Amino acid sequence: MSYAREKLIEEAVRVLEEQEKMGKKGVSLVVIGHVDAGKSTLMGRLLYDLGRLDEKTKVANERGSSKAGKSSFSWAWGLDGTTEERERGITMDIALQSMSTPHRQITILDAPGHKDFVPNMISGATQADCALLVVDASTGEFESGFGRGGQTREHLLLVRSLGVSQVIVAVNKLDQVNWDKDRYDDICDQLRPFLIQSGFRESKLRFAPVAAMMGVNLAECEGEEAKGLLEWYSGPTLVDMLDKLEPPARDLKAPLRIPISNVFKGSGSGTSISGRLCGGVVQVGEKLRILPGDETAVVKNIYVEEETVPWAAAGSNVMLQLTSVDPVYLNIGNILCLPTELVPLATVFTARVIVFDIEVPITSGAAVELYHHSKDVPATVTKLLATIDRGSGNVLKKNPRVLAKGISAEVQITLRPSGYSGVARPIPLEPFTVSKDMGRILLRRGGETIAAGIVSEIFA
Amino acid sequence: MKQVNKHIDKHGVGHVTLRPEDDQDMWHLYNLIQQGDLVRGPAVRRVQSVSATGSTDSQRVRLNLTLQVSSVLFSAGDGEGAAASNDPSSSSTATSTASLHISGRVTSENPHVRMGAHHTLDVETNRDIRIEKDPVSGSQHVWDSVSLGVVEQSIVPGRGAEVAAVVCGEGQAVFCLLSEHMTVIANRLKVNVPRKASGSQHDAGLNKFYSAVYDGITRHVPYQTPELKAIVVASPGWVRDAVVDYVQAEATKRGNKALATALRTKLVKVHVNSPHVHSLMEVLKNPQIAAQLNETKFAREGMALDKFFKMLGSDELRAWYGPDHVSFAVDRAAVGTLLISDELFRASDPGLRKKYVAMVEAVQQKGGEAVIFSSMHESGQRIAQPTHRNRRDSDISSRRRGRRSRGGSVQW
Repeated sequence: MSYAREKLIEEAVRVLEEQEKMGKKGVSLVVIGHVDAGKSTLMGRLLYDLGRLDEKTKVANERGSSKAGKSSFSWAWGLDGTTEERERGITMDIALQSMSTPHRQITILDAPGHKDFVPNMISGATQADCALLVVDASTGEFESGFGRGGQTREHLLLVRSLGVSQVIVAVNKLDQVNWDKDRYDDICDQLRPFLIQSGFRESKLRFAPVAAMMGVNLAECEGEEAKGLLEWYSGPTLVDMLDKLEPPARDLKAPLRIPISNVFKGSGSGTSISGRLCGGVVQVGEKLRILPGDETAVVKNIYVEEETVPWAAAGSNVMLQLTSVDPVYLNIGNILCLPTELVPLATVFTARVIVFDIEVPITSGAAVELYHHSKDVPATVTKLLATIDRGSGNVLKKNPRVLAKGISAEVQITLRPSGYSGVARPIPLEPFTVSKDMGRILLRRGGETIAAGIVSEIFA
Repeated sequence: MKQVNKHIDKHGVGHVTLRPEDDQDMWHLYNLIQQGDLVRGPAVRRVQSVSATGSTDSQRVRLNLTLQVSSVLFSAGDGEGAAASNDPSSSSTATSTASLHISGRVTSENPHVRMGAHHTLDVETNRDIRIEKDPVSGSQHVWDSVSLGVVEQSIVPGRGAEVAAVVCGEGQAVFCLLSEHMTVIANRLKVNVPRKASGSQHDAGLNKFYSAVYDGITRHVPYQTPELKAIVVASPGWVRDAVVDYVQAEATKRGNKALATALRTKLVKVHVNSPHVHSLMEVLKNPQIAAQLNETKFAREGMALDKFFKMLGSDELRAWYGPDHVSFAVDRAAVGTLLISDELFRASDPGLRKKYVAMVEAVQQKGGEAVIFSSMHESGQRIAQPTHRNRRDSDISSRRRGRRSRGGSVQW
C-alpha cells in the first residue's frame, strides 16, 4: 500500500522516533586508512566476533587463503570477495556489510587503502556518517602511512570534506610492538593535532588500541592474547565505541535524492541499484527520474539490510529493484529523484574550495577530475575568482594568479567536453545551501586530492 | 605533405601549393588557411542547365575553383568515421578520417560556376591545393614567420612518431592515436561493470569489458602499420595487466598473428592516475615512452609545460601566463621560453594574429625559445586554457563542432 507523500513523511518520522526510543539507531561507517593497515582484516574479524560471519565461511576462507599462500589474509577474505582482490591481497573496491551492536545498527563500508583506488574510497565515504580510521602501529608502517604520500592524511581530509565529523581511530597491530604503551601514546599524539587541524572536534575523537588479527579489544578485551594490553588499558573496546556513534540528523522533508553507487542484475525481474538516500523518503511503487537523462523507472521493491521494506528514509543504505527501465540508462554515478523535484544539471558552476597540501599550485585552466558522489568527470578550473579568509569568509584578494596550498578560494569550474560532440555532459549538482549532501565536491589531479569544496552557485 | 610550388616575395605576398597526404596535413592546412585567403582546389559541382523547352538537366562537373575563404571547418576523425565501418580489416589500412571544409565565394572565372557563387571545398588527400595570401586580392594576411614555419614543418617527410594509446579504467576505455601534431580520439567505450558487492556479476562484467577492449584494439589501433612505434596501455590499478593478458590470450586464440606480434614488440604498460583522456600527459612523462618519442613535438610540448607548472609552484615570479602579463614580459625581453597555443594564430582578426606573431619573433630574436603548442594535443588544450582567459571557448568549441560530411563536396 502506498501513502500520499505528506502521510509517508509523517509515518517515517514516527517510526524513526520509535526506533530511537527503542535504542537501535542506524548509522553508516566507512573504514579508512593507509594500504595494508588492516582495515579489511579488522572488519572481517569484527564481523566474525559479532556473529555476522559464520563459522563455515570462516573455515573456507582460512583454507582458501592458506592454499594461496596468504594465510594472513584469511580475515580480509570475508570482505575482499573478488578473485583479483584475493590474488593480490588488496582491497580494490568498497565492500558493504552490516552489523549490529546493542544500540546501533551499523552499515559498514570497507574502503580500499591503495592510492589508485581512492575514487572507490570516495564513493564509499559519500555514503557514510562516521569513519573508522585504522592505522598500523608497527615500526615504520605508521610513519609511512601518515607521511606525505601516505593515505592516512588524504583519507582523513577526504572524509572530513565529505561531511563526516566523528572518527574512531583504531591503532592496529599493537601486538607486533609488544603492546608498547609509549608507541600507542606516541601515535595518538601525532594524530590528534592533525585531526583537530583538519576540522574534527576533539570531543568527537576516540582512540582504541587493537590487534585485529587476534581479535583483541574489538568486541571484547580478555583472554591470553589481551594480557599485554590489559596491563595498561582498561578503556572501552572498539565495539563499545561503535555503539556510541551518534547518527546525524536526517532530513526527511528534503527532496528525495539517491546517488547510485552500484548497478547490477538482482534476483527477479528488473535491475537493481544500491545507494544511500541523501534526503527524503522513497516508497514502493513510486516513479523516479534518472538524472542526467530523460528516463524514469518504477520502484518495485526496496531492500534495507536484505529485507524488503515498504519505504526507506534519508540516511539508509538501500537496494532498489527498478522496473520499466532499460538497464542501459542506469549508470553508476546517476542520481535518482522524484520527477517533481529535479536536481539541477550543471556544467559551469562556482565553488568555495580549500586547497590541500599540494606541490604544484592551481592555476586557472588546471585540468582536474571532479568527484561528486560515485561520479568522476574531467573538469577545468576556469576562473580563480577570489581568495577567501577561512574564518570570516571575507574576500582577501580578487582574481588571484595561482592558488597555493592551504588557501581557501572561490573558483569557477567547468566540465570538460567528453565524447565526440565537444559539449560537456552536465552532472546533477545542487548548491550547498540547498542540499549539503549534493553540494560537496572534491578535486583531484595526478592521483592526489588537491582541493575539496562546496558548490556555491550553478551557472549552466 | 608535399610542397608542389612556392612563390612568396619578400613582403610575404604570394602563394604556396601543397598536396596533403594524411590527417595531420589537414590540420596543417587548417592552421594555414585564414579568412580572406584565396584557395584553389579541385571541386565537384552540380551544374544545372535549362533547355529551351524548360526541361532541366544536371550533371556533375569536376573543376578547379578559386575561393575567397570565409570560413574553415576542421574535424578530427573522432571515431565516427571509423566506427561507421565496423569491418575490422579497415583498420589495417591507415584511413584518413580528418576532414577540412573551406567555404567562400568563387573568385575566378570558369565556364560552369558564376563568380561570387558560394562553394565549399572538401579537401581530399593527394589533391593539390593552392593557398594565396595577397592583400591586393583582399586577403588580410601575408605569409609571416609562423605560417612559413607551419609549411616547413608540414613538408618534412615521414609521418612522425605514431603511438596508439588505450587509456582504461574498470569498465571504460579511450582509444587515442598520437601523431606529431595531433591526438585523435578514435573511440571511447564504456561497459557497465557491476561493482564487487554484486558477487559473480563483477567478473562477468569485467570479461565483457575486456572483450570490448579487444574489439576496440583490432578496430581502432593500426597495429599492422610499420610506422606505429608503440601501443600503450595505461590505467590506474591493475586494469592494464588484466587487459593486456586478455588481449594477448585472445589474439593467440583467434589466430590474429599480426596483433600478437605487434603486442609482443610494441606494447608498453604505463601506470596513470585516472582513466580520463588527460592522463595522456602522464603517459608522455613515463621514461620508457619519453625515450621512444624523444625529439617529437608532443614530447617536447609535454616537457615544456611540465617545467612551466613546476616553476609556477617553486619560483612563482619566473612563470607568468595570460596575454597581458606575457606581452609585458616580452616587451622587456625577459622571456626565455614562450609557450603559445596555435589556436591564437587562427585568430580571424589580422591585427591579433600579427600581435602574436610579433611576440614569437621578438622572443626568438632575443635568443629565447618559442614552443607553439598544437591544440590537438592534450598539452595544447591545457595551455589554451590559461592563455585564453578572455575569449575562451568560442574558438575551441566551434572547431570541434565542425560538421562532418564525407564523399563529395558540400554545395549551396
